[in-house]
Amino acid sequence: MILLVAVILGWLTGWGLARWQGRSWLPPDIKFSVFLVIGFLPQWLAFYFEPTRRWMPDQIASFCLVLSQAILLGCVFLNIRLPGMPFLLLGLGGNLLVIVANGGFMPLVAESALRLLSADVLHSIGFGARISHASKDILLMESAIRFPWLADRFIAPPIFDQRFIYSIGDVSIALGAFLLLATGRKIQSLSNPEM
Amino acid sequence: MKNTFEKIQFSLTKINKTHLQILWVLIVLAMLVLGAGAPEDVGGVGI
Repeated sequence: MILLVAVILGWLTGWGLARWQGRSWLPPDIKFSVFLVIGFLPQWLAFYFEPTRRWMPDQIASFCLVLSQAILLGCVFLNIRLPGMPFLLLGLGGNLLVIVANGGFMPLVAESALRLLSADVLHSIGFGARISHASKDILLMESAIRFPWLADRFIAPPIFDQRFIYSIGDVSIALGAFLLLATGRKIQSLSNPEM
Repeated sequence: MKNTFEKIQFSLTKINKTHLQILWVLIVLAMLVLGAGAPEDVGGVGI
């Protein structure tokens, strides 16, 4: 959900700046945007839609995750000239790399999780196991992770209501989405500051 | 009743192509960030 906050904040910032400068705010012109919907669909089935995620085996869920992120990566690459897209490409590329290198799920560094959860809870999940059917993460000790600096390892500061653990790629994705919307499309005429 | 209908009709006519473009971009970007990112919400997954 924290990534959606970046989208909303980016939009509000772009819209507010446009109003302040007396111009229209228009959304960025994303090419092949329908592929973003197609690319998200496998993940929606594997992690978000309760009836399908519950029965889906881990291998298929993992395949859905990698396939989905590969499609999204291609679409981001095709839009690389838009502001913020290089950050999205870096973040998505980093996440996909660490996911593929660690068996198809995002590794969650156990040492970081231990700072928020008790050891009993972590043992009940089991090392190498998925956190839940709604999660893209598997719990691993840092020493067992390939590219550990790209894994979910950073703990959200306590100012957030929800405590979550994120990767450097997630930060880059949030920054990219924010910049993309805060910049918007090229400046329009000053005649209609309605939007 | 007639006034209400006219108000609704007036509001709908104010929804133009730009509004729909904004809605579409927000939806596809939400899908992009949800699909691209993988933060683990340790409070919401039952652990």
